[in-house]
Parts: sequence; structure tokens; C-alpha cells
Amino acid sequence: MIEVAHLTRRYGPLAAVDDLSFSLQRGEVVGFLGPNGAGKTTTMRILAGYLPATKAERVVVAGFDVLRESYEVRKRIGYLPESVPLYRELRVDEMLRFHGRLHGMDRLALRDAIPDVLDRVGVLDRRKQLVGHLSRGLKQRVGLAVALLPSPEVLILDEPTSGLDPLQRAEVRDLIRELAEEHTVLVSSHILAEIEMICPRVIVLDRGRLLADGTQAELLERWAGDQEVRLEAVCGDAAAAQRLLSSLPGVRRVVLGERQGIHQSFAVFGEGDLREDVGALAMQKSWALRELSTRRLSLEEIFAKLVSGELAPMPDGVVQANPVAPSEPGPASAGLLTLGGAPPQAPAENQQTVPAPDAPPLSAPAAGGGQIYSLNPFDRGAARDLSKPVARDPATPAEEPPASEPKQDGDPA
Amino acid sequence: MRGVITIFRRELASLFWTPMGWMLLVAALFANGFLMWAQLAAGGGNVTAALQASLGRGLLFWMLLITLPPLLAMRLFAEESRTGTLEYLLTAPVSDAAVVVGKFLAATMFMAILWLSVPIYGLIVQGLGTPPDWIALGCAYLGAVLVSGLLVSISLLASSLVRTPLLAAFLAFMACFLWLTLPSMVQMILAPLRELFSHWAGGWEAAERWIQIAVRSMDVPRHFLTSFLPGVLDSAELVFFVTWTSFFLFLTTRSLEARRWRA
Repeated sequence: MIEVAHLTRRYGPLAAVDDLSFSLQRGEVVGFLGPNGAGKTTTMRILAGYLPATKAERVVVAGFDVLRESYEVRKRIGYLPESVPLYRELRVDEMLRFHGRLHGMDRLALRDAIPDVLDRVGVLDRRKQLVGHLSRGLKQRVGLAVALLPSPEVLILDEPTSGLDPLQRAEVRDLIRELAEEHTVLVSSHILAEIEMICPRVIVLDRGRLLADGTQAELLERWAGDQEVRLEAVCGDAAAAQRLLSSLPGVRRVVLGERQGIHQSFAVFGEGDLREDVGALAMQKSWALRELSTRRLSLEEIFAKLVSGELAPMPDGVVQANPVAPSEPGPASAGLLTLGGAPPQAPAENQQTVPAPDAPPLSAPAAGGGQIYSLNPFDRGAARDLSKPVARDPATPAEEPPASEPKQDGDPA
Repeated sequence: MRGVITIFRRELASLFWTPMGWMLLVAALFANGFLMWAQLAAGGGNVTAALQASLGRGLLFWMLLITLPPLLAMRLFAEESRTGTLEYLLTAPVSDAAVVVGKFLAATMFMAILWLSVPIYGLIVQGLGTPPDWIALGCAYLGAVLVSGLLVSISLLASSLVRTPLLAAFLAFMACFLWLTLPSMVQMILAPLRELFSHWAGGWEAAERWIQIAVRSMDVPRHFLTSFLPGVLDSAELVFFVTWTSFFLFLTTRSLEARRWRA
């Protein structure tokens, strides 16, 4: 129904739409998502034949080229711009009649179609009111009625819920969902919640570029892969604790959060639910916990991160973690955590932090010649009994008796 | 064509949905009535001359001509562009040319209705027993509508160039004023130049002849006053008005198209 290939539109030096490609099948409902100025409106205007593209390999709507066969395209689309342009001095049914005549509908067809479409958007009782006297929400509905009147194949709705109160929003959403059964619909919004509720498929735009395109499930699968465990604890040296956390198996990266008084917060990213292991480590190290929670990225956060550049957009494929934390798996990656005197992978500044007064876990070295603890939950695969403390893991060769540990680290807490 | 008629009907109707349209009509009726009465009293009862005063001989006619078309045209594009309805219109299945022509016809039709106030007084006078020269009056009326159409097309061009209605009206007013006064202004400029170039007699005369021809081909008042007003229907004069009007309508269509690229 809609096919866009390598579409570019410039305003002077500014590229409002930059090499955009996507397509919509018949009957699809697709949400255009992006912050203000992402190029949503420009793209929609090009599709509606209001603006020409600066450069495009192909822009086809309802089987016709928007530039060469603009007239044919315009006959087949219902376009509702964000400003809901209606003639204020007309009455609701006059506005619809005017639109119908522009579309070449005759008097008889209009007599049936107008009450029908007004009833559908729920403003049948306002048909004799002046458009200029209608509230924002009602005007929006009349705008929808106008777009729907010639029963177009494709509906292009630019921010159809902006400026409405929550109740009206819900109504317009329901309406669009209903329309989806008969029309191909492209809806734009900068509010994700709206799109989430209306459209199964989402196209994320930012600064004219396509960041993501897929169903909500696909987007979640692609970008929400990593779970985040939030940890807030009294843990002495933050950098050292970060290194400890990073060395946990399954952890991809650890981001240092802010420090409030003696509490340091961390965000631990990795596969699966890491709370177990992080908790075990905290217990082992006698960190006084204040928070230990997990969450997955919601679509909202994926959107925010895509736009802010924290997540790599589509074409690059792989989710790139920001190189915020030094999470390189050192020699400890075998599931053994080396600690103490001079861990081979410890950077220079780490040595300086050792004498810090509140760094007991690091300054309690010697005991096991470096290896004190195994935290590999997958030593024996998924069969590991999570109800038991990790330290009792028999598969770990260099194991310390658990009893000895509180003696080692417990004192400063 | 269907689009032209639809747009024409809506534009014309919307002029009469606002009090503005009616106020203008009533004002014109009063002004023309007063003018005819004054002329009739001064001219010793020459009914046709008195009516023609309202259709071209009087200053009022020209003042209405340079103020009304800009005011009508400012709504047609500049205001629609501001309220966003132009986007609606330009994405409807009608061509830009149909939009321009529809709007042009509506504004010109309004002016035609406005000038109807003169024949109405003609009818009244006839009812009182002194029939005016209807052929001369009809010719003058047709000419007035053609001049109005030309000025409406100039105002439409101005309206399509900017987004602020007031600025559009001002631009259109200036353009109409310049267009109508161009010949006398050129004469004013030519007079001192003639002395300046007196030593270069032959060349200057040729140049001046060309300038005069150019000016004459744009001289609206002369074309109107020498042909339509006395009651002479000259096809050359018709062509003159139709050509210039079409030219400005063409420019307006182009300007709308350019707006898409600029927007």
C-alpha cells in the first residue's frame, strides 16, 4: 500500500528526512514514532502529496507514484494533518459535503455517506454546528470524519491524539483501532504509549533517519535483551565493587550510579536474572543492601535510548553496550574471582584505592592466595540449586569454607 | 473543472457567511447612491453620465478597486496558509490551477455583485421615467468587472507569496496602486529625462517610443476609460484584460507550486 525507498527531503542544508525506506502492506496499522522534529510530519506530507521529495528512489502510495500520479494518490488517501485544518465558518455537514464534492462524490452518495461517517466518529448530533465552535476533541473527530468520507484505501493521520484530554484520547484510539479493519493506517505520534496501544508495528524515526522498524515484540526481543539489576549498597570502594560485579558470570557490563552518602548504586546488565548472584556476592562481601531489583527495558526506554543514541539503530544490527564500564573478562572469567594484592588485570589506579579506609573487601587479601569465591551459577548448567549458597559450589576447585568468610570481610560493615 | 466549481461555491458562500461581505455591499450601495445623486444634481439630469460616474469616472470607483481586491484576496491564500487549510486544499484531489481559478472566480464574482449596485440605481431611475443608456451602462459594467478581475489576480499573487494576511493585503494594495498609476508615473519620470537627453535627440526619441508602447500595453485606466466606459466593446480590449489576468493567475499557480518546495 505504501512503499518508500531512499526518501530524502531537505530544507536548505537541513535534512528533515534522510534516506528513509519502509513499506506498509494492505491492512497494516503502523505507528510512526519519533521525537519532535524527527521528520514524521515531513514524511507524511510527502506521502500525501503536499510536499515533493528532494530525492527518492520510489514513493508509491496505493500503487501510484506520489509525484507523477499525485492526483490518483490524493483520490485514494485520507490525510489528516496535525493542525486538523477545517473551515471554521462551515457547519460540520457542509464541511463534509465540500470534501465529498472535491472527491467527486455526488449528492445521493453524500446523503448516505455523511450521516454514516459522522455516526462512526460519534459526532452525528453536532452535524449542524459550526466547525469553529467545536472543541479540540470534537474537531479532531470531524477531521477524522472528513478523512474517512471518501472511504480511502490509505489513512495518514498526523498526531491524531495531540491536544486531547485522556478520555478523548482513549476514544480516538479506539476509533483508529476500528478503522484498522478496513484501511491501511499510518499514525504518527511522539508519545509511545499511544502507539503501543494502537499499532502492532512501530517505525522509529529520529532526525530523519530510520532507527527501528518492527512489531513491538520484535523490538523488545532485539533491544531489551539485557536485563538490568539495580543494586544499591554500602560497599566501600566503588570501583573495586564494580570490578567484582563485572566479573560475575553472565554480566555484560556494570554502570556506576551515583553515590548518596555511604550508599553506592550500580546498574548491572547481563543475561537472565542476575539478582541471585549479585545478592550472593553482596552477602559474601557483607555489603549492606538498600536495593536489589531487576527490570527489563520497556518499549518506552528502548525508544528513549534509540533516540539518545545509547542503543545502536537497526542497520547495525547488534545491540552495542556502551563502553561505560570496564567489564573485560580477565583471567577471572573462569568463574573464579581473584582478589587481593595484585590481581593481574587490575589497572594502576586500583592499587591506589586499596588503602582507602572503607575498602575492606580489597584490603583483606592474602587468605586464599587470591581465589576466594566462586560465583559461577552455571558451573553445572541450569541444574544448579539456587536455594543453596553459591560458595558451597563443589565444582569450584579453589573453594573457601563459607564459615571463614564472614570472619574475613564482615568486620567493617 | 468540478474542483473549480466546488471551490468557487465555497469561497463565494463563505464571503456571505461573514458580516464583512454584507457590510462591504451595503457601503458600496450607499456610496454609489450618493455619488449618483450628487452627479445628477451637478450634471443637469444626465442619468447615464451620473451612473457612469460610479463606474469609472469617479475617484471612488478606483479607490474601491485598489482596496477591495487586496482585502478579498488576503483571505484566499495567506489566511488559509496561516490556518493550515491550504494544506488540506492542496492534498485534496484537485489541481493547483483549479484551486487558483476557483478562488479567483469567487472574488471576482463578489466584485461583480458589488458593482451591481450601479445598474440597480439605473433600474430605479428607469422606474421613475428616465431610462439610462443601457448599452453604455452594460459595457461599463462589464469593463468594471474585468478591471476588478485583473486586480483580484494581482492580489491573489501577493496573497500566495506570503503567510501573513495583513502583509498580503498591503503588498497587494501597493501592487494594485502601482499598476494603476504606472502610466502617469512613467510620464512624470520621462519629462525630466527628456531634457537630460535632449542632445541625443534621435536615439532618445526611439527609446521613448518603446517605453511608451510598453507602458500603454499595461495602462489599465486608459484601456478601460477609452473603450468600455463610452460603451464600445472592443475585442482587443477584452484580450488585453483576459491576457493580463491569465498571466497573473499563472504566476499564482506557479507560486503555489513553489511554496511546496519551500515549505
